[in-house]
Amino acid sequence: MSAAPPGSDRPGTATGSHEPASPSPDHPGTATGSHAPASPSPDHPGTALDPIVVCRRWVDLRPSVDPLTGAVESDPRTSGASAADDAALEWALQAAEAWGTSVVAVTVGPTGSQAVLRDALAAGAARAIQVDLGSSGDAASVAAEIAAVARALSARMVLCGDMGVDRGSGAVPALVAAAMGARQALGLVDLTIDPAEPGVVTGWRRLDGGRRQHLRAQAPFVASVEGASIRLRRASLAGVLRSGGAPIEVVAATGPTGGRVPSWMPASTGPGRPRTHVVDGPDPHEPAWRRVTLLTGSGADRPALRVVHAEPVDAAHQLIAALADWGEWE
Amino acid sequence: MTAADVTRPAADAAGAAGAPPGPPLPAPAANAAADNHAPAGDFDAVVVGAGPAGSAAALVLARSGQRVCLLERGPYPGSKNMYGGVVYPRILDGLLPEWWEDAPVQRWVTRRATMTLTDDQALTIDFRTESWGRPPYNGATALRPEFDAWLAAKAVDAGAVLVTSTTATGLLRDGPGGAVTGVSTDRPDGDLRAGIVVACDGVNSFLAKQAGLHGPVDPANYTLGAKEVLAVPARTIEERFGLGPNQGADFEIIGCTGAIPGGGFLYTNRDSLAVGVVLHLPALATAGVRPEELIAGLKAHPAVAPLVAGGELVEYSAHLIPEGGYDMMPALAGAGILVAGDAAAMCLAAGIWLEGVNFAIASGMAAGEAAAAALAANDVSEQGLAGYRRRLQDGFVLQDHRRLRHAPHLLLSERVQRRYPQLACDIVEDLFTVTNPEPKPGMRRLVRRQVTASGVRLRDLAADTWRALRTFG
Ligand SMILES: Cc1cc2nc3c(=O)[nH]c(=O)nc-3n(C[C@H](O)[C@H](O)[C@H](O)COP(=O)(O)OP(=O)(O)OC[C@H]3O[C@@H](n4cnc5c(N)ncnc54)[C@H](O)[C@@H]3O)c2cc1C
Repeated sequence: MSAAPPGSDRPGTATGSHEPASPSPDHPGTATGSHAPASPSPDHPGTALDPIVVCRRWVDLRPSVDPLTGAVESDPRTSGASAADDAALEWALQAAEAWGTSVVAVTVGPTGSQAVLRDALAAGAARAIQVDLGSSGDAASVAAEIAAVARALSARMVLCGDMGVDRGSGAVPALVAAAMGARQALGLVDLTIDPAEPGVVTGWRRLDGGRRQHLRAQAPFVASVEGASIRLRRASLAGVLRSGGAPIEVVAATGPTGGRVPSWMPASTGPGRPRTHVVDGPDPHEPAWRRVTLLTGSGADRPALRVVHAEPVDAAHQLIAALADWGEWE
Repeated sequence: MTAADVTRPAADAAGAAGAPPGPPLPAPAANAAADNHAPAGDFDAVVVGAGPAGSAAALVLARSGQRVCLLERGPYPGSKNMYGGVVYPRILDGLLPEWWEDAPVQRWVTRRATMTLTDDQALTIDFRTESWGRPPYNGATALRPEFDAWLAAKAVDAGAVLVTSTTATGLLRDGPGGAVTGVSTDRPDGDLRAGIVVACDGVNSFLAKQAGLHGPVDPANYTLGAKEVLAVPARTIEERFGLGPNQGADFEIIGCTGAIPGGGFLYTNRDSLAVGVVLHLPALATAGVRPEELIAGLKAHPAVAPLVAGGELVEYSAHLIPEGGYDMMPALAGAGILVAGDAAAMCLAAGIWLEGVNFAIASGMAAGEAAAAALAANDVSEQGLAGYRRRLQDGFVLQDHRRLRHAPHLLLSERVQRRYPQLACDIVEDLFTVTNPEPKPGMRRLVRRQVTASGVRLRDLAADTWRALRTFG
């Protein structure tokens, strides 16, 4: 499938191929088909002058939760960028170095979030912009602000972490792509940046069921990366010292109408839910009541709880034996 | 200006169709990573360690107009630091007048108790005063991540440049064995040159050791402090300890560490308790007991258990203390380098007094003053920095340490640790046990009876009393 043209209302999807298995045709948001042509399309080549925007979100990495009320308390001292946002910065810096361009770090958040911009400046970003939206922005408005900055910078390459560590929706990168009318390559676990092909990234991403997809995205694109994809370089001492006094551009949020998020995109998201996983269904020939009991486990015999006192190695063997007994270990 | 008004990079803006209006920005450095050079000689002073000593030194240096860099290995000042829990910040009166207005205090200590424990007895000397709960106050419980960050922020406000997540890995010298001219760090291009280095890098001070200022390390000079923080609601703390809303209690405990010389403590934070032990290092190493087992024993003691009951463990930490005091102190200055705080063994650990933070602040301030004076005089040689020791001698830091130099040895002795607590408790138990129809024994007879029963020789008792009088008198 070829990518949607920039400016269309529907987010483009990077071209790609699944490996080893092909995707189900109804898999949401992923591309099907084989590799895209190797050369960037002539109408949208990445140019050496395009800055790369990297998004950084300031988040408490060790929030404390009141066990009684569930209230979350965050502390600026333990706040910073997630591993995924750091990975995005590293990829952005590598791309900028390969293609001879610069990185602009953007955060949408309160004043405290400037700390993650300074980290980016220390590591090598050329410019830092804070969109002052307080801490209340939902995914759609955050995305709209990032897209507005990218547009204003004529930036056509945006890199983000794949998901906030605080149970974020993970929707921001897709929403930015939607608002920019850019291709999207989301949830990448690895990226290849070729100095000979400015404005083009190829990478792998995970799919459900252990599948992987190989993607190739050409500017304009939004790519999001997993935290484990790469480690952010250690900023040099000079970089750190310089970043302390470097100017940070603070801009006011454009407000709810400023972004171009399509109306069909969800404006807000519900609470996080664990991922579903495939459970082998019971034999369809069994009677209905039997299938229900098999699926729910209700009324099934359960092994009695047993407390084991043993040396660690012996205890581990006993645990494995018990798991095997219960059918949880092969 | 809104996000839509952000200007493109100037180089780019010129030819771009539809570029938003606005003055073009100067072209950004292509990619900053490419032109990273450590700024050589950009600082007059580098202070290593943003604990109380380091921040105080940096604050004084910055106020005196020196360009000072404060290096901290943790992600923020205080993130790596632990202690029992009580600070005595009156040393800040001159430096930060009315410090209590914004210092991050948990509770003002208005109750101080010294507990002597045996397995099933407790003898407590308990003192409280309302005057410690009013300005200028006396001691306060405070959390180090808050307190250290607050003090470091004062240094930054004064002009110091704080660099966190950066470890000083060694000293730079003017030729082999020459004057110290800066530090290397664990960052790329990480050399930081300066006229003077103030090593406030805590008890293990690798910098002071590398500078050759420390003699050989003797584990007998160190104790290990281990602490649990237990979450307890503020109201419960106030009821259990008999405190008002902002008031706090400080319990020092002796006789709670079994065969290992040491002591214990119990402090009240706003809505948590700090309970821990301090253990003589060589004895701990040979005892085959883990510190947390001793804390568990302390918490289970009948005199302590009701105070900590129901507390939920929220933190466990441990740290070394330079217990040896005056006799383990290194040379305090070398060419281009000063050592302050725990790095110079300035912590005062003398039984009823465990004061490290105020000694660290005071020595940091003295180091800052001496460094500033030496920089102004353009003489950072060992002689040029001799003013540091003079300042410490003129103040409480070295005076208290010299007077109490024998306290650690006395307090960690077997008799003080085990026999005397038992003896004191037995005497008091005897005193208050009513054995009618027998008449009450006279005090002298009672004491003699218990001393004999304890196996303590009168000669030793007299000698220890004399030593204690000389030490603390
Ligand atoms: C269990 C325990 C209980 C205590 N109770 C009390 C008490 O109740 N009251 C009291 O006043 N004192 C108490 N103390 C003593 C007190 O904590 C210390 O004396 C005091 O913290 C010393 O301050 P400092 O600044 O010298 O060192 P530290 O507080 O140890 O600070 C050293 C700083 O240097 C940083 N650092 C170290 N090496 C490097 C490097 N190479 N590069 C960059 N940064 C580095 C560290 O991260 C740290 O921030 C206690 C200590 C312990 C262990």
